[in-house]
Order: sequence, then structure tokens, then C-alpha cells
Amino acid sequence: MEGNPVGLIDLSLEVEEGQIFGLVGPNGSGKTTTLKLLLGLVFPTSGSGEIFGYPLGTLTYKQRIGFVPEGPYFYDHLNAVELLRFYGSLFGMGGAELESRIEYLLKLVGMWQRRDRKVLDYSRGMLQRIALAQGLINDPDLLLADEPTSGLDPIGAIQIREVLMRLRDEGKTIFLCSHLLKEMEPLCDRVAILNQGVVCHEGSMEELLTGEDGRYVATFRDLDQVALQHLRVLAERVDSEGDQYVAAFSDQQSATAAASEMIDKGAQLIKISPQRLTLEEVFIEAVGGIPE
Amino acid sequence: MSAIWRIAKATFHEALRRRFLNGILIFGILIIGSSWTFTYLQPGAELKMLVDIGLGAIRFFGMLIAIFVGVRLIPDEIEKQTIHTLLAKPVTRAQFLLGKFLGGVATVFTNVALMGLAFVIVYMVKAPQLRELAPDEGPGISMVFMAPNIGKAIGLTCFELLILAAIAVVASTIFSWVMASIFSFFIYFVGQMADFLRELASPEHGADTASTIVFGVLYRILPHFEIFDIRESILKDNFVPWSLLGNVAGQAIIWVVVVLMIGYLCFNEREV
Repeated sequence: MEGNPVGLIDLSLEVEEGQIFGLVGPNGSGKTTTLKLLLGLVFPTSGSGEIFGYPLGTLTYKQRIGFVPEGPYFYDHLNAVELLRFYGSLFGMGGAELESRIEYLLKLVGMWQRRDRKVLDYSRGMLQRIALAQGLINDPDLLLADEPTSGLDPIGAIQIREVLMRLRDEGKTIFLCSHLLKEMEPLCDRVAILNQGVVCHEGSMEELLTGEDGRYVATFRDLDQVALQHLRVLAERVDSEGDQYVAAFSDQQSATAAASEMIDKGAQLIKISPQRLTLEEVFIEAVGGIPE
Repeated sequence: MSAIWRIAKATFHEALRRRFLNGILIFGILIIGSSWTFTYLQPGAELKMLVDIGLGAIRFFGMLIAIFVGVRLIPDEIEKQTIHTLLAKPVTRAQFLLGKFLGGVATVFTNVALMGLAFVIVYMVKAPQLRELAPDEGPGISMVFMAPNIGKAIGLTCFELLILAAIAVVASTIFSWVMASIFSFFIYFVGQMADFLRELASPEHGADTASTIVFGVLYRILPHFEIFDIRESILKDNFVPWSLLGNVAGQAIIWVVVVLMIGYLCFNEREV
């Protein structure tokens, strides 16, 4: 099914204000369709949705939202300032207020020096930056963004991430769609994993990465061969990291018991902590593994 | 209103930069500019020939521009996904459709105005010479009637293209742009033959029941584009009354409103 877009079958999401909410999923899982639904570009065959208490597609909430498209295209005869002026005017903005907002945003996304260049001459990364600027032109309370860092170099991606986090700190709500899991992990407060049109996992980033099955890891140093051999028997898995050994256990009790045995054998216990997964690991498990 | 105006303006600037349309315009101006070289084909009626070719070229190339501008306005927005950022703003689909249409119409009118200007220049330079060549055309071609009649003919062409652009835009909300082009050409050419359709539908001319119904319906629902062509009156040097202009322009506006309303109903339900 990879790459083939599917409809949304079961989507129930509630996004709280002041959070960065990430919707992740493989290609064709329905992420962009979700955004289109929220923007009123496509219509649900059943069910309903609201933004700020208004039904999807109505104009009232569009005054308060911003949208950053993936692989953005704009009227390419305009330069950055003209483009933002055009989008700002659609919100009824104008005059000095709009001009100062444009300057602020172009500086924010690192495009102020290149403001006179026509969109036609923009690189993919520049388009992505300008897409973010146009999405913020009305100082939205909710920003919907589809792959906002796609096409950006690492520095650009970091800058955009910083902008998004700054917006969250200002109390804005951000709804991100992406399959770039490493980008999403440090950014999102909550995540939903979408697969073939169904939300198969949802929770706070902390809950998802810590795991709900109570797995623990214990880290040791100064293990002799006998102790290491014994640890391999007690633990599910033992990995070496420099002069340390990290042992994974199915629960906290097993980890604690193993730790006390290792201390008796002269090992030094560094720490016992819940096992932390990466978003990538959670994602692969949620979508049923990597296809053959 | 501001959103419609902004979208129309952006559409106009985008459309003016289309090389294909500029190519049609340049070709049209070349034909108009060289129209006097064909006048030898009708010795003794050179001036009539000049007017016929000039106004005919404006209509023909205007028709091409109206269709090719109209059918690409909305599909291009959808293909390039610029429509997503626009409709994510507080812009209704009606405002979007109307803005695109008005921007397209402004483009068509600009092109017609440029071709009209080219024709007027050719006419002003060549008409006195051609009148001398065929002085017996004399009272048949009154310069008093001719100049305003040419203006009226170009004005009516604009109204004709207004309907055609509306049909092209609306067709593109339903079909692909290629299908929409074919559909628009079909409507235009069949609409030129409204009288012929009436004859085909007439039992007095031997039409059976099915033909009467099919051609009768086509006759009633299709716009009658031939009413916008006043070249015959001009060539006979009849004064074209303002009332005729008002009547035809009124019909055109009603057509445009109806077509755009149908377009809105289709586009409002369309997923983009």
C-alpha cells in the first residue's frame, strides 16, 4: 500500500491549545487528507469536525488559522514581499501593520535579504521558508503544517524547528503532519500514528517513547567475564556502550533483582530507568513492522 | 470584494505571462497587420475585405484566447496546489471562482483591445488608400458609420468572449482542461449555427420527432453566438443601433450569470 493514498477510515483526534501535535504515518496513510479535511478542501463522507468550535470548512475559523503546504507552489511572478502582501490582503490586512508583519516574518524565516527575488527563482528550501511565512501572516492561533521541514538543509530545518517551538511557547497550537520521525521527536508534545487511514497509536510523546509495557534498562560498569555471562542470562538483551553494559528487562522487578546480583559480583550500577524507545521504533511497531 | 479583486489581479498577471497566449496574440496581430495584403482578392471591395478580415481575426483569435485562458484558470491552481493556500485563507469558493473568472476576462479583454488597436491603426492607414482604389464603393461605405460600427463590433466581440470564457471556466470545474477545451469549442461552433439548428428541429423541413426534440433543445439552451457578429451590417454600411448593442449585451450578462451559477454549484462540491 505504500505510496497509494487511502481514505480516512477512523480518525478521532482532539488537539489541545498550546501544543505541538504531530500526525505521523507512512506515505499514503491519510496525513494530507486529514489536513485537507481540516481546511475544507475535501469533505467527510461521514462524521464531523470542528476547529475553535466551528464546523470544518467555514470561514470563521480560517481567520485564525495558518497553513503551510508541502512542496509549496505560489504565484511565481511575485517576489517575497508581494506574495506575503497578497496573502495578507486576503485577511483584510494592509498598511503599516501588514508591512511590519511582512518584515518581521521574512526576518524570522531568513528571507529578508532575498525579499526582492521572484518566487520563480526560489530553491525548494526558500519556497519552504516562504511557505511558513505566508502561513504565519495573520498571526494564527493554530498553524497546520504539512512536512514543514521537507526540502530544507539541516540548518534550515533547525531554524524552522526553533520557530515552531517559539510559537508553541507563545501559546500557539501547531498541528504537524510528517513522516520525518527524527524531526518530530524533539518537537511534538503529542503524537498520533496514522496507518492506512486509521489512528493506531496516540499519546503524549513521553508516554509513547517510554512505552506502556513497563520495560526497564539497567546500566553497569566494571563487569568481569563471569558477571557479564550471568547478566546475559538474567537480561533479555545486553548491549555494550564503551565501558558500560546496558541490559534490558521485561519489568522493573527483574531489573532491580539483576542489579543487586551484579553489585554482589562487584559490578558498579550506573542507573536503572524505564526503557526509552525512539519514535521510529514506536512507529515501526505501530504500523506492523518493516514490510518484507 | 477585496478577495475577488486580489485573486483577479493575481490571475491577470499570471495569465499575461503565458507564452502560449502571447503567441496567439502575436499571430493575431500579424494577421490583422497584414490583412490589407489580402484585399486584392476582392477587387473593387478592398475596404470591405479589410474590415471583414480584421474584425474576423479579432473574433477568431479572441475566441482561442478566451477558451485557452478559461480552461486553464482553475485546473492550473489545482495542479500546482496554489488553490490549497488560497482556500485555507478566509476566501469562499464563490470568491475564488469569481476572482479567477474576472482575472481571465481581464486578460481576454486586454488581448482583444491590443488586436483592436492593431486593426484601428491598419484601418486608419489603409482605408483612405483603399477608398481611392475603389471610389465606386462610395456611398456604400460611409466613414461616418464605419468608425463607430467598428467600435461596436469589437465591443460585441468582448461580450461574446465573456460568455465563452465563462463556459470554459465552468467546463474546467467539471472536466479535465482538454475535455473542457473540446466542450467549449463545440458550444461555440454549434452556437454559431443557431438558425441552422432551428431548421434542423423544424418538422416543416422534414425533421422527425427525435430530431425536433434534440435540435429544439440545443437551439433553446445554447447561446446564439451569431448575434454578436455584426460584420454583415457593417459591410452593408447599416447603422448598428445602440439598442441592439444593449439588447445583446444584456443577453450576454444573463448568460454569464447563469453559467457562473452552474459553475459555482459544481465547484462548491468539488474536492481539491
